[in-house]
Amino acid sequence: MIDLAEANTGLWKDIVTEDMGDIRKCYNCGTCISGCPAAEGNPPLLIRRLVRMVLFGLEDELLDDETPWACVSCNQCMEMCPQGVKPFEVGLAIRRWQCREDETYIPPSLPELWEIGHTQSVHKQGELRKSLGLDESPPSVVTDHESMANFRKMLKETAIVKSAPYMFPDEEE
Amino acid sequence: MKYGLFLGCNAPAIRPDLERAMRLTMPELGVELVEMEGYACCPGYGTFPASDEIASLAVSGRNLAIAEERGVDVLVECGSCYSVLRHAAHNLRHDEEKAKKTNELLAIDNKKFSGTSQVRHMIDVLYHEVGTEKIAQSIKHRLDGIEIVVQYPCHTLFPSDVMGFDDPRNPHKLGELVEAMGAKVPRFSREYQCCGGAGGFAARSKKEATAFAKKKFDAIKAETNAEAIVVSCITCLMFMNNIQTDFGEGWETIPVLDYNQLLALCMGFDPKQVCSIGETLKVPAEPREKFIEKITKAAVPG
Repeated sequence: MIDLAEANTGLWKDIVTEDMGDIRKCYNCGTCISGCPAAEGNPPLLIRRLVRMVLFGLEDELLDDETPWACVSCNQCMEMCPQGVKPFEVGLAIRRWQCREDETYIPPSLPELWEIGHTQSVHKQGELRKSLGLDESPPSVVTDHESMANFRKMLKETAIVKSAPYMFPDEEE
Repeated sequence: MKYGLFLGCNAPAIRPDLERAMRLTMPELGVELVEMEGYACCPGYGTFPASDEIASLAVSGRNLAIAEERGVDVLVECGSCYSVLRHAAHNLRHDEEKAKKTNELLAIDNKKFSGTSQVRHMIDVLYHEVGTEKIAQSIKHRLDGIEIVVQYPCHTLFPSDVMGFDDPRNPHKLGELVEAMGAKVPRFSREYQCCGGAGGFAARSKKEATAFAKKKFDAIKAETNAEAIVVSCITCLMFMNNIQTDFGEGWETIPVLDYNQLLALCMGFDPKQVCSIGETLKVPAEPREKFIEKITKAAVPG
């Protein structure tokens, strides 16, 4: 059983900002869930439930809940919410809070982006691309040494890279 | 008409046949494609947007700044890239504080977001800038007598006040673009169901995501005579193509093509260049090859 007396009632202020709509206006109607593909997942992503957890301040439960990461980002819930809440944005904000609270949530795609500027090896498909009449690589940051160095210089000053520098090794040094 | 072609990550790495199709078809329609040298990931929703908002705006803002330097709007096919870049441009235009923090980061890379370039989706540009008439005139092979269903990319529909170029409750523009080439685009019950391929859903709940997609495919087979599915989003393209290998024995594959691939085939470009990667993904090639053959043998108008 969850003891609400032990909940962190200020949690919502750590997670959401005003531009996500006023989540206190959520009356749990479930519109955000109907039509949500990830609501059919196992376990289901139930965004209205997550909004409730944020409002009740169920910090430990929310930190253990990986369902926000199942979102397909279709944004349909943003269109449909009758209360002006931006459920998709709230889901993203929960993920960002989880990354801040527990660095094991930091997506492995981030170091990949740091390394090659992409989530796929766009520069390693030369043979295939040439066979189709394309250049060996698209005009990406990864094929331009100077652009890549400047890109990393910028990323180095972001909060997330500063929070876990060991995940973002600088090959230059 | 000039646009900066934003390729994202998946098309150039996994489906370069789609990239080739875009690069061949757009100039035929009078659209000059400008290279966005030095571009990076949009960044995808599961990366910076899910971990650091300002970092995410900086990576998007950097891509947008590259287009601004070239004085062009951005042309995007990938639904996720479109949604991420479009949201970022919207936030940076309307939130001074976020724009200030973002530009502080961009200054390190000698770049600046000013908000002068618009982000446009492929369907939007084809429908509103090129037009169905010009498309109909550009093709060598017509699709008369062929039924094709379309997959409206969810990322281009919602939220309509930021994404909007089509009716979010009754999208029809991709369908009309296919009809412009002579095909019949039938309506069916699950026409507007999302493919379910983006984000963590399919990776975390493979069984459920397969069942979710199967419902849509079953409806296509039961309610239409579709010979192909046409999409305009790299995620829809890859997911709807690949997921069919999980539908079990006896499933007859429905070929899935991106709109620019279909256009390239109808314009008479080499199928080996513009529509050829399916079999590397263990999807049987035969249904696609049969469909391509039908198009290339179709009557040349006039």
